[in-house]
Amino acid sequence: MTAMTKVKGLATAASFAATLLVGGVTYASAEEVTLTMAVPDWPPTRIMKKFFDEQYKPKSGNTVKLDVDFIPWPDFYTRVNASLTSGEKKYNFIVSDSQWLGAFVEGGYFRKINDLIDADPELKATMESMHPAVLNAYSTYPNSTPNYYGFPQFPDVLVTYGRKDVLCNADEQAAFKAKYNEKLPCTGEEIDAMDWNTFEHVGEFFQRKKGDKLAGQVLDDDFYGIAYQAGKGYDFSTSSVHSFVWQHGGGIWDETKAPTGHAEGVVNSPKSIEGMEHFLKLLKFMPPVVKTGTMDIFVSDQLFREGKVAMNIDWIGLAEASLDPKTSKVADKLVFGLAPGLRGPDGKVNRTSQIGGQPFVLTTWTTPEQIKEAVGFVKWWLSPDIQNQFAAGGGQSAIKSVYSDPKYVTYRPWDRAWANSLDWQKDMWHVPQFFELLTQQQDQYDLAITGKQDAKTTLDNIAKFQEDLLKNAGLIQ
Amino acid sequence: MTAVSSTLLTPRLTTVVAHNWKLAIAVAVVVSAISMAGLPAAVSFWVVGATAALVAAAFTVNAYRRHYFGALLVAPAIAVLFVMNIFPLLWSLGLSFFAYQANQQTIRFVGLGNYTRILTNDLAAHATWGALINTAMFVVFTVSAQMIVGFLLAILFAKQFPLRKYLLILVLTPMMLSVVASGVFFTYYYDPTFGILSYVINSISGNQFILMSNKVGAVAGIVFADAWMWSPFVMLLVLAGLVSVPKYLYEAAAIDRISSWRQFWMITFPYIRGLLMLALLFRTIEAFKLADLVILLTKGGNDTLTISYHLIRIANEQNKTSEGAAISYLMLFMVIVLTNLYLYLANRRTQGA
Repeated sequence: MTAMTKVKGLATAASFAATLLVGGVTYASAEEVTLTMAVPDWPPTRIMKKFFDEQYKPKSGNTVKLDVDFIPWPDFYTRVNASLTSGEKKYNFIVSDSQWLGAFVEGGYFRKINDLIDADPELKATMESMHPAVLNAYSTYPNSTPNYYGFPQFPDVLVTYGRKDVLCNADEQAAFKAKYNEKLPCTGEEIDAMDWNTFEHVGEFFQRKKGDKLAGQVLDDDFYGIAYQAGKGYDFSTSSVHSFVWQHGGGIWDETKAPTGHAEGVVNSPKSIEGMEHFLKLLKFMPPVVKTGTMDIFVSDQLFREGKVAMNIDWIGLAEASLDPKTSKVADKLVFGLAPGLRGPDGKVNRTSQIGGQPFVLTTWTTPEQIKEAVGFVKWWLSPDIQNQFAAGGGQSAIKSVYSDPKYVTYRPWDRAWANSLDWQKDMWHVPQFFELLTQQQDQYDLAITGKQDAKTTLDNIAKFQEDLLKNAGLIQ
Repeated sequence: MTAVSSTLLTPRLTTVVAHNWKLAIAVAVVVSAISMAGLPAAVSFWVVGATAALVAAAFTVNAYRRHYFGALLVAPAIAVLFVMNIFPLLWSLGLSFFAYQANQQTIRFVGLGNYTRILTNDLAAHATWGALINTAMFVVFTVSAQMIVGFLLAILFAKQFPLRKYLLILVLTPMMLSVVASGVFFTYYYDPTFGILSYVINSISGNQFILMSNKVGAVAGIVFADAWMWSPFVMLLVLAGLVSVPKYLYEAAAIDRISSWRQFWMITFPYIRGLLMLALLFRTIEAFKLADLVILLTKGGNDTLTISYHLIRIANEQNKTSEGAAISYLMLFMVIVLTNLYLYLANRRTQGA
């Protein structure tokens, strides 16, 4: 038994060494706790890391290190997905897009946090002070049930970015009034009151060729009125189309009605088709890149910052760059307001919109020690003082006492649109199949956006696909 | 070596000596089976690993005592190849017969279900076939563009002219750049608002020109970018062939007053044919796997989805691991068939000549 004895001896030695090692780690972590975090690389997370390094003092007396992986947005899902599914168990804390919840909860990666909330009255109070639309979108799976998985990291909505120098020019104002018999929106309040019709007029009105005049100056390049995401990547047309569909009274497959709710007849209902057609109608007034199907949130933002469009609808998360003269040609000409909505026969505007933003989630392999520190960190992050600083530094807060404070709107020019947008926010699916739903839908929307098929065919195809997929998954009976 | 090895007698199965590999295998099988049945997966994983190491150790001792030194020297390479290449290949082949998703913990045997699904299911098969047809189209266009441009460049650079060395370095640069960098460069190049292409055409025609707004334009854009990047590679190979042609053959041909066209076919071409075939083979296999440029330039829009990008979406984004494995085996099969076809044709030509 020579070989076997050798192996046995080796195994004993190895297990002894392992015991020593594990014991050593436990001992060390009583003093120093490292939280490894995956976050998208953009201002809201950079600010968070900066605040943490400068200000965070854990109440437990431990030394807490925040080890942050900043991942570029276009790769973010793929990288996080690869890390989670490969089983490397690298991250304790992940800034997750809200739609991912189902996929990663079902996979056993995201930790349910109801017990943490219930055990900590302070945290419970904080979660309850959150705007319900934000809490449902970022924390719940199944969507809008009291099963919590996430703490809001950065809440986000779509707002209208405008160029004051063009919109408020007296000649342009007069010409617009003469042409459409309405006032060209110029101030933040006027943009707030804007509906899709006015937005469309702005688009049509400001289509100028090279050599034409714009606000009294001769253009050296073509100029366009409006821009709004209509790209094939990730969710860069879903976010805009969903808003139109909802505002027209149509719908997407509603997971809260599973398993009796259907995709067929809802996704492709006449109202939904009407909403999609309305969106497609606006595309002809947008910069030509929209016809290539690659005008995503970054492209439209860049067009705006380069001074090629009068108005752009985009996430607040990207707005910081437009304020900086180094990255923006329009830094001193900005005006912000609510995203437009659909004016009903009663004159009221429906602004139902796809919510943006991300929650923090904890992973299931995070140790109790790390969880304790993570909760401490989240409580600090969601404390009014830090939330106010975050908003002042370009972030947003979904905590009522923070965003309803009068000083909130003075931080950044877009903050005035924040509180009023919140009530209108809705989210897409949180189900594990979301990425299949999303890619197929994006492919189909792309065909419509680039003029290959009409709205009805598009939504019929989507409905058929979703009905089939969700039936197989048991989510539709 | 054989004479020495025969001195070591093969032990009986039950004899416990370090080189008794049959016993090692028997022990490994029994211990693995018991541990898999009785221990939690995390522990049995290491037990099975240890038994595999035991078998390997027995084989090593056996080979050493029998003086099979050649085999011992090759063994590490074979082991690495097995662990890094063959095992994953077989593992994914196995996966393709199951319904498995990387982000869910369930697994179910479905036989050929994944293959029938990707080839015949009316929703999934449509995407697969569309992607395959697009891939074939890209293979034909990009490879022929690269072969022609690369070949012409090689003819040019085979001659001596001023600044040749520097121009050669310049021409080779695209090949050395990262694909992502070139892809981003081409997105701006083709952009209708910021790009120079639209700017030039707009100022000539007066109309707004958008290259990537239809299939023809999008394909042309991708093919151009790919040819820009990889023609230098073909050129490099062909150039190596061209400079290897002995000068005296041309001199003899000149004395015989043979036309330059015949010189090319009789002298130059036989020297570069093998290298041309090699370039064709390399580029075809690479073109078959085209995904990066498509992702960067169109995201698969305008019907430019290739099979590789389709595979990335299925396996990495949607986590349909086993369906992805089935698609990759479909791809592997096609590449192998294509490669063998090339080699067959190349060999037949050589024999015929």
